Amino acid sequence: MIKVDTTTLSNVINQCFAYSSDGRLSADEQTAMLADGKRLRGLLLNLLSAQFDDSTQAVIDANKQLTAVNTALANSATALANAAQTLNAVSTLVGNLDKLLNVASGFI
Amino acid sequence: MKTPTWRAPQRLAAVALTFVLVGCTANRYEAPVSSFRDKTQQTINVLSSFYSSRNSYEVDLYLQGVAADSSLPLQTTDAYGSPTPLGKPVFSPASIKARLDALNLIGVYANRLYDLVNTTAPSKFQSATTALGNNLSSLDKSFQNLQGATDPTASKYIGPISSLVGAIGEMFLDRKRDELITKAVRDGAPQVDLILSQVRDDMERIFSLEIITGSNEKLATLIASYNADRAKLNYEQRMARLSLIRSSANEVAASVGGAPIALVTSMMDAHKALVQEATAPAKAKATSRSALNGALDQWTNQIQTLSTEIKTLIH
Repeated sequence: MIKVDTTTLSNVINQCFAYSSDGRLSADEQTAMLADGKRLRGLLLNLLSAQFDDSTQAVIDANKQLTAVNTALANSATALANAAQTLNAVSTLVGNLDKLLNVASGFI
Repeated sequence: MKTPTWRAPQRLAAVALTFVLVGCTANRYEAPVSSFRDKTQQTINVLSSFYSSRNSYEVDLYLQGVAADSSLPLQTTDAYGSPTPLGKPVFSPASIKARLDALNLIGVYANRLYDLVNTTAPSKFQSATTALGNNLSSLDKSFQNLQGATDPTASKYIGPISSLVGAIGEMFLDRKRDELITKAVRDGAPQVDLILSQVRDDMERIFSLEIITGSNEKLATLIASYNADRAKLNYEQRMARLSLIRSSANEVAASVGGAPIALVTSMMDAHKALVQEATAPAKAKATSRSALNGALDQWTNQIQTLSTEIKTLIH
């Protein structure tokens, strides 16, 4: 069984919440960051105990995407300079993690 | 040659010293095991409150988010089709209860050690089922029912719990106290360690992430709400909102400290030292006793500090 990298997902969530009160983003961008953070946290609570069959490609892909988004958010200069792109990457992550819940084989 | 004779005060002192020495020999475990039992109970109480509050924490967080944003309706199922914390508990109540019972089982183990140390007639103890009650003596079956689809980590509790129930049952044999304590610790300790390790893993992998992201969400929501409303608020209202934000920021700081994990780790360290003391050869007793007292002192200090931090995380 394999799992989603929930530690990295938590980092992504916490960074979304941090950006939601970052004055260098516009009010709309801050609102979007807060909404994405909340949505990701809802997914986290389900994914914390979700298990997947070994070599589920969607999980492997999601974990790679999580690492990429986490790294992108951690580089605040680039993340802020390309805010629209950053928000788009987070939204795509939300969608992909949401789809994962349909293929999980177990929850707490 | 004249035989020396003791006067009354000397005789009294000698008799008193004999009593003290006999008492120390008979009850050398009394102080550390009593302390271990008390600290175990305190720790279990704090951790139980933490476990028990997980679902109410999520409900509070959800309601606070709704309160902060007037555009959000109160729902039991959200627009994505997922149940909100009002619609369905985030954590399965059966899984939470089973973990509370696992902690209680460790409390029974500590109580039994205490009874062994303090009783003059160990044989009066009865069977494990009588002492534990049906709830705890069949706790392994509760976890068996949870394992698999409903609770993937439940299976890790089954083995150590069933062995610990067996070890507690063995504590009722009629033996000399020291032998009995050594055997009780030797038989029960590995299972207690496994259960505590699993509790610590649960804290690290599940509840720590839940709490850290939850406290950050709460803070971010309060800040967003303040920024959206600040132009409409008077000074007192702004101060009240900012006071909530300050409390929330303290909660974030407490959440990243890992207090529940640290508390379980302190308990494991003290238990390990107790095992070393109970199983050490006679010539090594002084060293192991010193280590045990040190671990108990450390645990005592940590309980005070960590339980305060954990209380800020309990809703």
